[in-house]
Amino acid sequence: MHYHAESYGNYYASTVRQSAAVDPLERVVRLASGSAVVIFSLSTCCMCHAVKRLFCGMGVNPTVYELDLDPRGKEIERALTRLLGGGSAVPVVFIGGKLVGAMDRVMASHINGTLVPLLKEAGALWL
Amino acid sequence: MASHRGGQHVLSDSGPSRHHHISYAVPHTLHLPSNTSFINQEGSAFDFEIEELEEAIALQRVKINNNDEAKQTLYTARPRAATIEMFPSWPLKFHHTPRESLKSGEDSVCSESALNTLASRGDTCTATGHRLQPLLPPETQPQMEMVSSSDKPTTGVTESQLDAKPNPPKRRGAGSSSDKVLDAKTLRRLAQNREAAKKSRLRKKAYVHQLESSRIRLAQLEQDLQRARSQGFIIGGGAAGGNISSGAALFDMEYARWLDDEHRHMSELRTALQAHLSDSDLQIIVDKYIAHYDELFCLKEVAAVSDVIHLITGMWTTPAERCFLWMGGFRPSDLIKMLIAQLDTLTEHQAVGIYSLQQSSQQGEEALSQGLEQLQQSLISTIANGSVNDSMHQMAVALGKLTSLEGFVRQADNLRQQTLHQLRRILTVRQATRCFLVISEYYGRLRALSSLWASRPRENFIADDNSCQTSTVLQTLLSSRNQFSNF
Repeated sequence: MHYHAESYGNYYASTVRQSAAVDPLERVVRLASGSAVVIFSLSTCCMCHAVKRLFCGMGVNPTVYELDLDPRGKEIERALTRLLGGGSAVPVVFIGGKLVGAMDRVMASHINGTLVPLLKEAGALWL
Repeated sequence: MASHRGGQHVLSDSGPSRHHHISYAVPHTLHLPSNTSFINQEGSAFDFEIEELEEAIALQRVKINNNDEAKQTLYTARPRAATIEMFPSWPLKFHHTPRESLKSGEDSVCSESALNTLASRGDTCTATGHRLQPLLPPETQPQMEMVSSSDKPTTGVTESQLDAKPNPPKRRGAGSSSDKVLDAKTLRRLAQNREAAKKSRLRKKAYVHQLESSRIRLAQLEQDLQRARSQGFIIGGGAAGGNISSGAALFDMEYARWLDDEHRHMSELRTALQAHLSDSDLQIIVDKYIAHYDELFCLKEVAAVSDVIHLITGMWTTPAERCFLWMGGFRPSDLIKMLIAQLDTLTEHQAVGIYSLQQSSQQGEEALSQGLEQLQQSLISTIANGSVNDSMHQMAVALGKLTSLEGFVRQADNLRQQTLHQLRRILTVRQATRCFLVISEYYGRLRALSSLWASRPRENFIADDNSCQTSTVLQTLLSSRNQFSNF
């Protein structure tokens, strides 16, 4: 699991990125396409912990963005809420740059057998 | 009423034992509440009246035979010349008075008050009884006996007009056979009549007693319900008394209704399989079953919002189900494991699908369980670390964490629902019908196990009754096990 918080990590690259006023939704899309499996989470949320455990249990290595540790996390949260059409912003899962959804969609796709092919396609899972 | 009672007491003091029946039974019927049916009151009064009178007739016939008089029927108009001549006025007197009292009885019958009727009945009884009592012992008054026996047909006729009992025709039959010798058969029949009447009296008494006690109990229950409602508690089914939230009580009631539907669906599935319906028909039934479960998940979602603790503790399920409770319901992987054993005739593709379903449901369960564990740890630390200054804030945080339980129960139910839908997708219609029947029967047995558990004998030396009940229930369960082996 890779934890990313834009304020930490690569300072020079991030300062260049931060100076540009990026629309939060655009940022979400950019971050989501950066890795095979991307999870937007809150460090205090237990459901986020559950979804993380789910992917780790399958042998997937997701990239996690803890929004409460991000200075502009609030904006992203609001954007995600709008994207999901209400309800809780986190956890949200993107696979291969495409939105899968919140926990219930992830569970449903896992049960009906569509999650694993999606992961394989994105290169997050090898047999 | 009092004077009538007085009459009864006179009767009981002076009469032989059988007349105690009269004094016993009539006050008994008088004690019935006025809303008891009119016919019943009459019936019991007639029970002993008819029986006593029939007995009296038989005994008189015996006496007549013993006296070696000329054979007389009850209805013969031929007078016994010598006696009638001796007491010319007697027949007239005895004929009129009973008829008068009977007529008054008849009038009262037409009146609306049941008690009046009873009083008149009692009077009739008293009248005839009174006449019977001094007549029978002395053997020297056969003509009086004859006369009194002659008013019995009138009594019988009057009674037959008002009562639907078949006794009057029987009595007439007896009257017509008084020509023949009174044999043992008749005596036996009379004795049997007596016994039957006695038994029916006792049965009726027991029934009325039971009705009365049930009525009292119902009144008390209604009072309790009223009181509880006024205090703002809605009493749901299965609540162990005390405080139960309205959301939980509502869910309990809805769940009880769902269980009734479940039984109906189960029998539908069973008959559908046995009837060998077409695939399209089975499809309809299977889809209805899935919709039935979807309905349960909807109910649980509503209940989770109002009272998630009630769902998680499983107070809405039976004890045996509660043992296996996982996040407010059944564990999907356990269900799949059970089904794998029961479902044969799977294609390879289907087998792969079922096993991957088992694996994915297990992974989902594991993830949710770990999430819940983290929630519990976080809640414990919040409550434990609450400082004096910050206690309200900490409580608010803890409350927020407790509320997020709702999300976990909802996700668990979602997992269950998806598992059932996936099962339907993997299996053929016929297999799905069998599969859902297996599921339904499985939970039915689990619930039956719960009731056995609840009624199990607690002490070894007590409750032979309990263990007998348990063993009979076990026997019925074992005998119904054959259905399972049809798969």
